[in-house]
Amino acid sequence: MSEPVTTQTQNPVAPGEAPAPSNHTHRIAWFSLITSFREERFFLLLAVFIGIFSGLAVICFRLAIDWTRIALLGPLPHPHNLRLLIVPTLVSLLVSVLVIHVFPLVRGSGVNQTKAALYIYNGYIPFRTAIGKFVTAALAIGAGHSLGPEDPSLQIGAALASSLGRGLELSREKLRLLAPMGAAAGLAAAFNAPISAVLFVIEEVIGRWSAGILGSVVLSAVSSVVVVRWFLGSEPLFHIPAVAFVRPTELIAYAVLGITGGIAAVIFAKAIGYLRPKLRDLPRYTQYLQSAAAGLMIGLIGYLGAPQIMGAGYNYMDQALHDRFPWRVLAILAGLKILTTTLSFVSGTPGGMFAPTLFIGAMLGGATGGIEHYFYPHLSGSTATYALVGMGVLFAGFLRAPMTSVFMVLEVSGNYSIIVPVIVANTFAYLISRSLQPIPIFDLLTRQDGLVLPSLEEQREQAILVVEDAMRAPPVPVLRSEDTVQQASIRIQEAPEDTFIVQISPSGWNTVSRDTLKKLMGEGKGEMTLLSALPIRHLPHLHPDMPLDTALRYVSQFPLVPVVHRADLHKLIGIISREDILKKYQLSEIEED
Amino acid sequence: MISSLRLKEFVRRPPVVLASLLVLAIIGFGVVNRLVNRFGEQKKALGRHLFQSSQAELRRGQSDDAIDDLRAALDYNPNNFEYELTLARVLRDTGKTSEAESYLIGLWERDPQNSLVNLAIARLYARQKLPEKTLQYYHNAIYGVWPSDAPALRQQTQLELIHSLLTENAYPQAQAELISWSAALPPDPNLHLTVASLFMDAHDYDHALDEYQTVLRRDRNNAQALAGAGESAYRLGRYRTAQRYLSSGTLNNGRTPESKQLLETTNMILDANPYARRISAREASKRVVQDFERAGTRLSECVKEKNIVVDTSAKESSTQQNSANVKSSGTQPSEDDLSALYQRWLALKPRVTALRISAGNSLRDSAIDVTFDIEQQTATACGAPSGLDQALLLLSQNPTGAER
Repeated sequence: MSEPVTTQTQNPVAPGEAPAPSNHTHRIAWFSLITSFREERFFLLLAVFIGIFSGLAVICFRLAIDWTRIALLGPLPHPHNLRLLIVPTLVSLLVSVLVIHVFPLVRGSGVNQTKAALYIYNGYIPFRTAIGKFVTAALAIGAGHSLGPEDPSLQIGAALASSLGRGLELSREKLRLLAPMGAAAGLAAAFNAPISAVLFVIEEVIGRWSAGILGSVVLSAVSSVVVVRWFLGSEPLFHIPAVAFVRPTELIAYAVLGITGGIAAVIFAKAIGYLRPKLRDLPRYTQYLQSAAAGLMIGLIGYLGAPQIMGAGYNYMDQALHDRFPWRVLAILAGLKILTTTLSFVSGTPGGMFAPTLFIGAMLGGATGGIEHYFYPHLSGSTATYALVGMGVLFAGFLRAPMTSVFMVLEVSGNYSIIVPVIVANTFAYLISRSLQPIPIFDLLTRQDGLVLPSLEEQREQAILVVEDAMRAPPVPVLRSEDTVQQASIRIQEAPEDTFIVQISPSGWNTVSRDTLKKLMGEGKGEMTLLSALPIRHLPHLHPDMPLDTALRYVSQFPLVPVVHRADLHKLIGIISREDILKKYQLSEIEED
Repeated sequence: MISSLRLKEFVRRPPVVLASLLVLAIIGFGVVNRLVNRFGEQKKALGRHLFQSSQAELRRGQSDDAIDDLRAALDYNPNNFEYELTLARVLRDTGKTSEAESYLIGLWERDPQNSLVNLAIARLYARQKLPEKTLQYYHNAIYGVWPSDAPALRQQTQLELIHSLLTENAYPQAQAELISWSAALPPDPNLHLTVASLFMDAHDYDHALDEYQTVLRRDRNNAQALAGAGESAYRLGRYRTAQRYLSSGTLNNGRTPESKQLLETTNMILDANPYARRISAREASKRVVQDFERAGTRLSECVKEKNIVVDTSAKESSTQQNSANVKSSGTQPSEDDLSALYQRWLALKPRVTALRISAGNSLRDSAIDVTFDIEQQTATACGAPSGLDQALLLLSQNPTGAER
């Protein structure tokens, strides 16, 4: 068996390292480096502009919602005002007509649509979607539908970015990157929270950790937040006093909140998951009436005494954080909000679920805190603390974005003293939700729409195979480059393998087969050392913790690849071949089945 | 065709693209700026309108409506300090203390030096009867930053704190505040009279007397100061001084029943005092005998009232010890204590005559001791005395200072 001959180099080549170039290739490489650097810089600047435009669009969107709300429901909505009944019903009818006839892609929250655009339509989101989402969501939320502006902001940002990319005739690959950048910018602007937005886009839109895009996503999110803060100020969404722990045992109280929130999140998700396909299966003409019926019911609840559940409800969340409501009222508001948000969402009304999730979490958290305080008055956390932790709990349990949920609470409150209770409560909520509702809500919605998109939760559950899982012990003996061909032939006589590793001095690895040694002996080169007799080449080496996918790139070129210690490149830990890798993949598949 | 292609190529060059985006962004900024400002002004106007409505509602006593309006005003102008503070105050005054506290602590975290916020928090904690926090936030308010007229507002706040402390019977803290306040007072007799009266309320009669005397040095005929000085001297047990102020001619016309009563008691104390300096030995002996007799009467009445059978066979030494125990512990004397005291009085009575007392100090002191013991123990066992018994009781508490 003949072995491939490689260019002579003195240094071992690790995966990813480039060989030493000649003068000519050096010039070419330099030119391509400059070009790629310029491209990279251009793309980063584009990310900044996407952030700026998304920020500006989201500011206008927020103004539009506020303006619509004041114009339609009045500056101070009181119960028993007929406006609360009439406005949501009529506006919902108008929104239904717009959604069915003019903007068919704007139904629902917009997160799934953005994800679908990224994975199915190569990042293509029509500009019309941005306009449609802006108009219909502003009308629906302003008229009192129990939905929020964040998910639509995400879609508006993504649509703007996609339109910009298409306008610049960027490649398909680049276009795919723009949608998440716009999504992060839109969400960051809506929440005034760049870290949460970036994490959410990674957890829910991109669905996997990707270092390549992270820089641009962060840059666009930060740019949009800068724009929003320029116009609307840098105050966090909610103000609560710093939290001081008197006893660590108080964390039990937050764990109870996590359990309650986890159960509420499951009820909420199951209600949406059950009702949405049922309503979609109804005859087409009912599509015009579904949103109006939801609007009427929401208006009725507002009319009868709970106008707090209408719209995004940020002002009422703030009031709950300021201890306005007793725990019984908070519990009722949480229940009503689950009901009304379910109605609004399953009816296909454009609008997001972030704000309602936070609302339910705040009310539920406040109620749980209130009950706990009733039985254990010595607990030091205030209602505001529990309400704020509750927001994160619902976020972790319902939207199933555990990392985002933690950072979101910190960013919207600007209060880092709350981090421990948030982590404890969110963990409980997340685990309960995962065990009772295996498919996260956004995945469930995409599956109901007939799509299967990657998710980070799925990825988390997948075992990542590494080189260590597939490698085997090095074949004995390990030959040295100083050995003569004859010595080597004698040493391998007893060994069962056909291919052997040769350690090259001072560093590097090579392989030699039994046949090659025989051939060399036949050519009378028995006294030559392996270093001089063998064609000079250095094998790439791997480390045990490297992903198995990486190893696949090398085993097709070389029959054996050495696996060496990270701290001592001379120390051979094992070897890996294509057969080893395939065998491992087969085994893991059987284990999963 | 070629020029169109060239133009297209030119337009797609990164610098041109970036410049175009920059121009678009600038235009976008301008448009959004205009929108935000216009809408912001509208919202502020709406907030103002709601705030004004709330003020009118507060004047009409419609607190709940005012709270609704203030909340809405705050929604439209979220960082308005005045709206938030007003809302917090109204919530506090309507008993929604936890919500008020939440807003106030939020305001305090934003501006911890602000005296208005600190004062509002202090009043909240005063309402909740949390003395330590009340004192802390009143101090913050006093030494914090006032929007205008700081000295007057500081003085007013300190006065409010003192009243709050007095209401809570926190006399030592009130005295400390008063001392600090009085140190910086301008020479205004009315202010000094107020401070003196507050010192009286705080049971700091020494400083009260000083303040009244300060007023009297400027206006010796100030009736209020004379009455106050007399009372404070009386409370200090300085009956001669009290008599001087209370018997002043200025007071004769507008004497209150209280000051009249004080003067009578003072005169009685001074007349009964056997240690008085400017009396003869005979007069002193006479007073001892009179006081001793009066005490005996008071004791026999008390013993009768309590239906105590007196054991006349008990030894004097043990009764003296019992008496000492009761005096030191300050507890209600038992029947045995009163019985023993009566035995002491009975044992001493045959010897207590003006003649014998003039002859020796030892008998005089024993008689006075028994007299004072009787007045103190009967006051505890049978209630507050009146007339001469009251005078003797007061005298027993400060026999040597009475002449001051």
